[in-house]
This record gives sequence, structure tokens and C-alpha cells, in this order.
Amino acid sequence: MSDLLKLIVPGKPEYVGTVRLTLSSLASSVGFDIEAIEDIKVAVSEACTNIIRHAHEGEEYNYGVTCEVEDGKITISVEDDGRGYDVGQYEEPDLDEINEGGLGIFIIKALMDEVSITSEVGVGTHIKMTKTTRSAVALG
Amino acid sequence: MALSVNANFSEEKDSWEIKVSGEVDISNAQEFKSKLDGALELRRSDLLIDLSSLNYIDSTGLGVIIGTFGTVKKEGLTVKLINPRENVRKLLNISGLDKVLC
Repeated sequence: MSDLLKLIVPGKPEYVGTVRLTLSSLASSVGFDIEAIEDIKVAVSEACTNIIRHAHEGEEYNYGVTCEVEDGKITISVEDDGRGYDVGQYEEPDLDEINEGGLGIFIIKALMDEVSITSEVGVGTHIKMTKTTRSAVALG
Repeated sequence: MALSVNANFSEEKDSWEIKVSGEVDISNAQEFKSKLDGALELRRSDLLIDLSSLNYIDSTGLGVIIGTFGTVKKEGLTVKLINPRENVRKLLNISGLDKVLC
């Protein structure tokens, strides 16, 4: 059975660091190495930043960060009930044309083992990402 | 860890030497931008940004650097990033910024 850790986070920039520190501590206890812990910190921060930038406009809200830990694997779900968007419209940034647009999602996909993004206009967005420790991967 | 940006103008190199310390994320990216803009307002010049004490950056901080690069490039000026830590270097690599700014 997996262990669950749930955070309800105010949609304010100053709490992204709190989420990052929490995930850093959790990833360390799961057994991730320093590089993987840094990857997880950045990926979860990008997901939170995405919500703060796009989910709601001019209103107070909370979003959820759920971490599921099982056998050297961590699955992090970052969910909001904001505006949502058409996932099909997302375009990966052209790295030959230096531009910040779309960089956050691109970074999450580069750093985590598995990433799924679901979003519905008017309902919200759910970013689910998974990473497995090297020792768990080696054990198969 | 809080953000610290220390800007000194080097007459010898005719360039700003900027040391960024701590962490840059969405909570202080605007402050980071203001510090870079402030230096450029004092003197339009190349920017040499030392990242040796930067522990953390994400797309919000990279966005500030990209925006600044876009501004100064039009004026024939450059932005150069030096001494990034491994975790920061990895993001520069993923974003392609290392090819342009390192």
C-alpha cells in the first residue's frame, strides 16, 4: 500500500518555496539522490507556478499537491479548479528561438520519468508526474 | 533562501559583473528583473552574470534572463552566464540557454 501526503496550498507565489522544501524533504526520505531531488523540486515548482500564472485571475483560491510514495517511486499530482486550457494548443518551445513561453511544462517533462497533463476549460488542470529512484529501477 | 543580486560595473571589462545568490522563483523573479533593469538603466552595457552562489532557479528566473537577453541583444550588447552549479547547468542545458549564453 502506498503512503499519501496531501497539501492544500494558497495560490500565492510565496508558498511555492514551501511546497518545494516539503517535496525536497519527502524525496530525500524516499531515497532519491541529490540530482533527482533537485529535479523533483524544480518540476513541482513549475507545476505550482503554472497554476499561479494561469489558473485564476484576481480571486483567492487554493490548489492541491498530492504525493503518493510506494517502493522507491513518487507520484506527485498538482491540481487546480481554475480556468483550464486546451492541452492540444500547447506547443513545445523552439530552443533555437530563445523564448520563455511554454518553458515550465517543457522542463517538467524533461526532469520527470512520466508526466501526464489533463485540463478542461472551466474545470481546471491536473499535472501528474512520477519519478523512481535508481535503486528501485535497478531492482525492476 | 532569499535572493541577493550584487551588481558592480567593471571599467576594465566595460561590463556589469552581477553576482546572483540564493534562489529565484515566482516569488522574487520580479525583484531579479528589477535589479537587472536597474543596472542597465544606470549604464547600457554587457552583463556578466556569476551564478556560482545561485542555489535554485526555474522557468520564472530563466524567463527574466531570456527577457533581458532579448532587450540588450537589440542594442548589440551581450549577456553571459558563468559558473553555474550542476543543478542550474542542467536547466540551462534543457532550455538551450547554455548554447547562447554560456
